[in-house]
Amino acid sequence: MGVEIDRRSIWLLLFLRGLRPLFFVVLGLVFWYILSLPVPEGLTPAGRNAIAIFVLCLILWVSHAVPLAITGLFAMVLVPFLGVLDEKETFSLFGNEAVFFILGAFILAGAVMQTGLSNRIALAIMERFGSSPRRLLLSIFLLSASLSFFMSEHAVAAMLFPIVLEIAKGIGLKPGRTNYGKLLFLSLAWGCVIGGVATFLGGARVPLAVGILRESTGMTIDFLSYTVSVFPLVVIMLAVGYTVLTWFFPVDIDDVGRAREVLSRRIKNMGKVSYREYAVGFILLLTVLAWMFLGRTLGLATIALTSVVSLFVLRLVRWKDIEEYVNWGIILMYGGAITLGTALERSGAGLWLANTIIGEWAKSPYVLVGVLSFITLLLTEGMSNAAVIAVLIPIGIGLSEKFSVSPAIVTYSIAVPAGLAFSLPMSTPANAIAVSSNYLRVRDIMKAGVIMSTTAWIVFNLVAILYWPLVGMG
Amino acid sequence: MRRPVNSRVQGKYLHNPGSLKIDLMLRGIRIDGSVSEGEDIEGLGIDLILPRNIIANVPCKEEFTKDSPYVLKKKGKGYVITDGIDEVDVRVVPKPEFYRKKTSTGVPFSKIGIVHGSYTVITPSPRCEFFHSNIECRYCAGNFDVNSTDRVYSVDEVLETVEAVMKEGSSRIIYLSIGFTKGDDGGIEFLTGYIREIKKHFNCLVAVEALPPKHNRWIDETYAVGADSVLYNLEIFDSELFEMICPGRASLIGRDRYLEALRYAAGIFPSGTVASHLIVGLEPPGSTCMGIDFLTDIGVVPILPIYRPSPSRALRIEPLTAEIIIPVYRHLYNAVRKKNINMNWVRDISVVTTPIESGYLVEDKGGFKGIMESFYKSKIGLKTAWGLSTIRRKLRVRDVEEK
Repeated sequence: MGVEIDRRSIWLLLFLRGLRPLFFVVLGLVFWYILSLPVPEGLTPAGRNAIAIFVLCLILWVSHAVPLAITGLFAMVLVPFLGVLDEKETFSLFGNEAVFFILGAFILAGAVMQTGLSNRIALAIMERFGSSPRRLLLSIFLLSASLSFFMSEHAVAAMLFPIVLEIAKGIGLKPGRTNYGKLLFLSLAWGCVIGGVATFLGGARVPLAVGILRESTGMTIDFLSYTVSVFPLVVIMLAVGYTVLTWFFPVDIDDVGRAREVLSRRIKNMGKVSYREYAVGFILLLTVLAWMFLGRTLGLATIALTSVVSLFVLRLVRWKDIEEYVNWGIILMYGGAITLGTALERSGAGLWLANTIIGEWAKSPYVLVGVLSFITLLLTEGMSNAAVIAVLIPIGIGLSEKFSVSPAIVTYSIAVPAGLAFSLPMSTPANAIAVSSNYLRVRDIMKAGVIMSTTAWIVFNLVAILYWPLVGMG
Repeated sequence: MRRPVNSRVQGKYLHNPGSLKIDLMLRGIRIDGSVSEGEDIEGLGIDLILPRNIIANVPCKEEFTKDSPYVLKKKGKGYVITDGIDEVDVRVVPKPEFYRKKTSTGVPFSKIGIVHGSYTVITPSPRCEFFHSNIECRYCAGNFDVNSTDRVYSVDEVLETVEAVMKEGSSRIIYLSIGFTKGDDGGIEFLTGYIREIKKHFNCLVAVEALPPKHNRWIDETYAVGADSVLYNLEIFDSELFEMICPGRASLIGRDRYLEALRYAAGIFPSGTVASHLIVGLEPPGSTCMGIDFLTDIGVVPILPIYRPSPSRALRIEPLTAEIIIPVYRHLYNAVRKKNINMNWVRDISVVTTPIESGYLVEDKGGFKGIMESFYKSKIGLKTAWGLSTIRRKLRVRDVEEK
């Protein structure tokens, strides 16, 4: 850590420091105001209180005034305190399957990274297929996407970043001056974003959405059905992504020989494949197959935790090595988000809100899916993906009955677009990591990202209208 | 053989505390037999509180003091200074009690901390690398012991000293100084541990006298770690004399870097807390005045110590007289006031005449100004200064990830 001295006027600094307490005072007043409003027709006092908590959490999640996890915990405090749900029920929601599925996924991904298996696969693929500038680019793009099928997209971006940076330096690219430098890091970021929506494992969004769906309606979505439903979207977006990238930033180098030298050196330094890598790879493969074919019977969390236990029984990993890969903040946030979603649903506030906000002007199921996916794409550019899910799913589920749409469709309409953030560095860690390389400026990612986001919305709705009925959805 | 006492100054400076302090520091004082020596006289000088509570460290044991027109006498229970014609009441500052005590490691506190008015000067390391390369400042007879065996006082020893100072209430400002060290930090890396621990344990202000670091980030670090005031002492403004008299500073740091670092620091630290010494008497008064103008233009407070030849140094320049020096101090006061630089930080230093004390050479500072000065000197004033300084630091300093 270093220090920086803020040389702006002391009065301005005092004012800015004062904004935070002022923000919380205003937030408290807004909260108190909603609680003191007369109960509208069609809503219970518990529903009004649930809406007050929802507004409070929405503002805290959007503003990041406190960490996401703390807002989640705050929701768990307020829900029983204001009598929306009783205390026992509130805290039992933290034991939702989605929370434990995420925990298991974090540990499995941690094991894959800790043993060096993911790194080895990445290096091998890039070295094998990256013989020309275009092929190297495509291999980074597809590799980021395919690894994000099995691991959190954030983890993939963080893992591949140093490799791509070394390739860029190895080729002799100057930060901010070459298209190819931009292409390398954008393909890393967008590959992760697109691949991240393909399965339950690309991020914690989908398990959260499914968790709220299950608590609210008793319905669920299994691993294989989800992947089958979104696969065309992923394939089309990968094709569009590569086209947009090379159209916006034409390849401006001819040779990547030095990049291959970098990759070869790294692979050589890794030595031969170890027993731990083989064993972890085998367990991961078995786990994914079990999720696909036994998920509905055994439950996703049960499978994930069984794999985790086997990792430790076989002494493939140690707890202290894995601990750093477990994002406890996300787990806490999920507990709070599921509680809040359930509170909105059980109190009837979700339905009331949905009717009030969207129900008046969304006149058909298609418009509903279009509107929800549009709002989600918009919000996910500026908000945490998980926060978008926590905010929109309870509203969406509330609306599903009115339009005779399955709550699962509504869940897809929010959970999938919530992962498709292409335009801003703050949208998702993958974009932020790419911009941090200095090879890419914010305006580069923005101008191409807008095209991608628009395309993603159109493609998603076309898949929903044309493809989903073919696989029994709709 | 005793020379006759110079009678030309008699009655001229006695009744203005500003000019009296300057003249006393130039000529020293003789101690009348009515004053018992030993109890109140520590080292070569005696600390006196002149009218208007101006504190002065007055030479009294050097050879030149035998020619002084000033005599300190006992009068009743108090003391007076007389110039042979008239007299003014003064007080003798008692020797701090903690001077008699030692640290838990057996080092006398008086070796670690020396009280100079409202400041206690602590020099944790006696080393100055200039001496080891024979490029030391030619006038230097300061805190740095050239024959030192490199005994560095530990943070704990310094903390014990500060605790003793604070308990006795001798002063509320700790002045840490360091000589030249190799490296690009100007000595701040070494002092950081001391500053941080002092700030952690005591509610006091910390001033740091160091060498300008090579990179400005060390100046940021100096402020961030807790220094309330910083001094990079240029000593001589004239570039040729600077090179001749301060060869180490000129060759290893450079005059331009001094000025650049001072300018940068003045933008970081609060008004009136960045200072630089210009020694009066080592260069022509006009050059000192140019230095005053330059420093005040960039927001730095010039502090003007008076040069006296040291018996242990080869450099011999005849000291200037009060008639020549007093206009320089008037210029100092006017320049600092014109640039609206806060004068209240640099005050009550017994060994130099501060800008605020120079004000007595220009105007009578009664009324509101007098009240404000009394406030700044009071305990509550110091606590206020400490509180404001702490808040300001909290607002300005941000931790950032290193790239």
